[in-house]
Amino acid sequence: MKARLKKLYDWVDERVQLEDLVEFMGKKYVPVHSHSVWYYFGGVSLFLFIIQVVTGILLLMYYKGSESLAFESIQFLMSKVAFGWLIRSIHSWAANLFILAAMIHMFSVYFTKAYRKPREITWLTGMLMFFLALGFGFSGYLLPWNELAFFATKVGTDIVGVVPLIGKPLMILLRGGEEVTGATLSRFFGLHVAIMPGIFTVFLTIHLLLVQRQGMSEPLGVEANAGEEMRTMPFFPNFLLRDLLLWLIVLNLLAMLAVFFPWELGRKADPFAPAPAGIKPEWYFMFMFQTLKYIPAQVLFIDGEVLGIMLFGIAGLLWMLVPFWDRRSSRGERNRVINYIGIFAVIYIIVFTILGWAS
Amino acid sequence: MKAMLLAFVGLISHGSLAAASAQVENQCLTCHETLGDKPSELFKHDIHFKKGISCAGCHGGDSTSDDMEVAMNPKAGFIGVPKGDDISRMCAKCHSSAAIMVKQYNSILPRNQIETLWESVHGKLSTTGKERIAQCTTCHDAHGIVSTKDPASPVYPLNVTKTCAKCHSDAAFMRAYNPALPVDQLDKYRTSVHGIRNKEGDVKVAECASCHGSHDIRAASDVKSKVYATNLPVTCASCHANRAYMKGYRLPIDQFGKFSKSVHGKALLEKHDLGAPSCNDCHGNHGAVPPGVESISKVCGICHALNADLFSSSPHKKAFDRRKLPECETCHGYHETVAATDELLGVSPDAVCSRCHSPSKNPKGYLVARTMRQLIDSLEAAESRAAVLVNEAEQKGMEISEARFKLRDVRQARLESRTMVHSFDEEKFRAVIEKGLGVTSAVSAEASDAIHEYYFRRWGLGVATLIITVLAVSVFLLIRRIERRQQQKK
Amino acid sequence: MRDSGKIYTQPTLSPPRRRDFLKYFLGGSLIAWLASVLYPVLAYLKPPKQPEVEISSVKAGKLSEIEKESGRIIKFGTKPVILIRTAVGDLRAFSATCTHLDCTVQFRKDAGIIWCACHNGQYDLNGRNIGGPPPRPLDEYRVIVQADEVLISKKG
Repeated sequence: MKARLKKLYDWVDERVQLEDLVEFMGKKYVPVHSHSVWYYFGGVSLFLFIIQVVTGILLLMYYKGSESLAFESIQFLMSKVAFGWLIRSIHSWAANLFILAAMIHMFSVYFTKAYRKPREITWLTGMLMFFLALGFGFSGYLLPWNELAFFATKVGTDIVGVVPLIGKPLMILLRGGEEVTGATLSRFFGLHVAIMPGIFTVFLTIHLLLVQRQGMSEPLGVEANAGEEMRTMPFFPNFLLRDLLLWLIVLNLLAMLAVFFPWELGRKADPFAPAPAGIKPEWYFMFMFQTLKYIPAQVLFIDGEVLGIMLFGIAGLLWMLVPFWDRRSSRGERNRVINYIGIFAVIYIIVFTILGWAS
Repeated sequence: MKAMLLAFVGLISHGSLAAASAQVENQCLTCHETLGDKPSELFKHDIHFKKGISCAGCHGGDSTSDDMEVAMNPKAGFIGVPKGDDISRMCAKCHSSAAIMVKQYNSILPRNQIETLWESVHGKLSTTGKERIAQCTTCHDAHGIVSTKDPASPVYPLNVTKTCAKCHSDAAFMRAYNPALPVDQLDKYRTSVHGIRNKEGDVKVAECASCHGSHDIRAASDVKSKVYATNLPVTCASCHANRAYMKGYRLPIDQFGKFSKSVHGKALLEKHDLGAPSCNDCHGNHGAVPPGVESISKVCGICHALNADLFSSSPHKKAFDRRKLPECETCHGYHETVAATDELLGVSPDAVCSRCHSPSKNPKGYLVARTMRQLIDSLEAAESRAAVLVNEAEQKGMEISEARFKLRDVRQARLESRTMVHSFDEEKFRAVIEKGLGVTSAVSAEASDAIHEYYFRRWGLGVATLIITVLAVSVFLLIRRIERRQQQKK
Repeated sequence: MRDSGKIYTQPTLSPPRRRDFLKYFLGGSLIAWLASVLYPVLAYLKPPKQPEVEISSVKAGKLSEIEKESGRIIKFGTKPVILIRTAVGDLRAFSATCTHLDCTVQFRKDAGIIWCACHNGQYDLNGRNIGGPPPRPLDEYRVIVQADEVLISKKG
């Protein structure tokens, strides 16, 4: 058995020079320090993304992206297809955990200032992937074509429509018309399963290649107070096996969530029915939604909603471009302002999310 | 005769002290009287005349002048005979004015009569497009107007039917306004208890205005009409539930109370289900009489058709006829008809069957009643068991909308069986029940499958968790071993 | 990562038997894990008994088998639909739920109407409420005939 495997390895190695890759992997080390735990969240996000791809492809076998069949096909999937409930629940739960893991990953990178030179591109691609993930969440939410999703999409795209100049055409482009209809469903379906995964894959490839090429970043503070050489651990197999161990646990967690809290389907959307009470966006949009509620209707000749959206837009843009304006971190100096901004963002998001759920 | 009348009139117009000061100056009347025309003759009985209002009050001009040129000069405001809507407007000039009605005449008459009239069906409809159908004078007359309490008034309870019928019984006239409206209301009314007593001079019984209103009459299909299905019970009850008013009629006054608690009353008054019967659906409207013993099943059968059909071809029909028992009412009551429950069937103390069928006197019927009750109870028990299973499966998050759909068929079968009771035929009844039981067991099977699936998922998760745990521990041990070796190498 | 430090300091004792155990555990549980992942996936991919969702339209049977002047109840998703074939052979379909109190209606050949047994509700063969308590007409469904197959679908 072993001899055969060796033979196969040699056969491949002869053709594509596996030896180089193995050597590269063998030389890769991961720094070990008190903040090393954050390194795992990138891997967890990757794992959850893989789960999404696999379960998403499986769902495509039965899902029908049309107004008259979308809800029914999910109902069919949940009741008639063996383990259909499991696949759908895992897809829904993993989607939420993915965004959560990506958020933690993003904030840990931010606070450890791992975005600083030379990793600006890694940060940028990561941020773009995060925005895409929010887009995945928003578009995927509509696909079951149930009541809550229908109205959440209506409200969500309405907000897009408020943006000056480009808002209205963008909203019509998103909706495939003036209103949320079957055309919107088709568009969201296309976005969710073809366009966004395509773009995402490009960013993901760049992101992962850069991580492998540049290695893990060492936090500024940790580097400074360790007089001796940094303690490290080989990426292969030590770190990779730990990654796998964590992935197994996450998989088990997903299975438990799917069994104990199966994702509900609700009632089929009826465009002519009155909006049901308590429409709330997904939790990761909640803080923005809640903020828009608090802004007065008119602030100095500007429409309150427009102002809110503009502010979030600018904040997002600044956040994405942090490696370019945070020069001090890139020079290896301490920059407390960055920490204060980060802490403010975390507290803001947590408080407004709680307020949104409580209201 | 004429001379005598003139002398009499002269006595009133000249001799009467009360009206003297005003009447002396009513030169219109003085002249018109000598002409012997009808208006002036009638006007002397008019309440307005008695209150001192002259002809000029409605016709304008100067009634104090005996010169025709002056008295009937348009420049002095003379308008001749008012036409169309101007008639009612002329009346309203005083009747809508508090300053005139209250301050001058100390009247308590309502002052919104013209508004209500113009909002009524008579005020809204018009054939010419220029004037409304009814003006004040249409019902109250023009010159001989007397108080509505005066037996001479055309709207006095004993006269109002004739006044309304003047138009409403005239097919040719009614065709112009509402060809679909029947014109036999008065004929029907005369056959009703109300109509008969009215003819005999009873002013307390219902006449047209009692139910339809007076100035505010609306079409029966208008939701604000006093005779709209959901408003009618209250309209009838305004007399029939009034103890003082109904005194002397030897009638109960609890019909409305009973009706509003009945299944029909709740459906009509609480749920606003217009399919539910109002008073008139059983009693008739213009020809209101209580349905007789023979007709009661026909009356109920208007809606409960199958039950009535089945009953008529059942052995009970003959037995009831022989004993002169009213058909539906004997078991279900009338005004207080509650929703029929299965308790009515069988031989328990609450059941109605045992009122006639006892084990000793009528054992066959007694046994059938008992068996039928057992059958329907078993179906109901099976249905609720199935429903519990379906609910449990749903609560466990299982998708079983199909079983839920079939549960509908069970309910349908149970409803059907309750109808079939009225055949009083055990075999027919059993067939329906068994159909229901068949569906019920299919539903139960589907639901318990779903519940099993639910536990299967948990077991599956348990096994998967065990496997993953073993794998995770193994990986953990592997890591330890690898790292120990790396340590040893160093 | 803290536990890694612990690992470094632990005394080395690795009896040869334990190694075999670990191998056995790792291999066995890996295979079991693969099975537990692949089994649901393969079962999921296996076509279910009822191969497709059939809600937007349902097959109501063969045209040649539907008599003239007859009516039948057909399950349409979670709702019953009544399919009527008139004396001249027209096919019509309506929601079979009475608009009065949700009983299921039926076709009555003798009267030529759609009839609800619960309270004598009557609808004509165009679904219009013509007698009894029903407050509004029955919702209409579309009937399509393809070859000999009769299909019912939602209108609009």
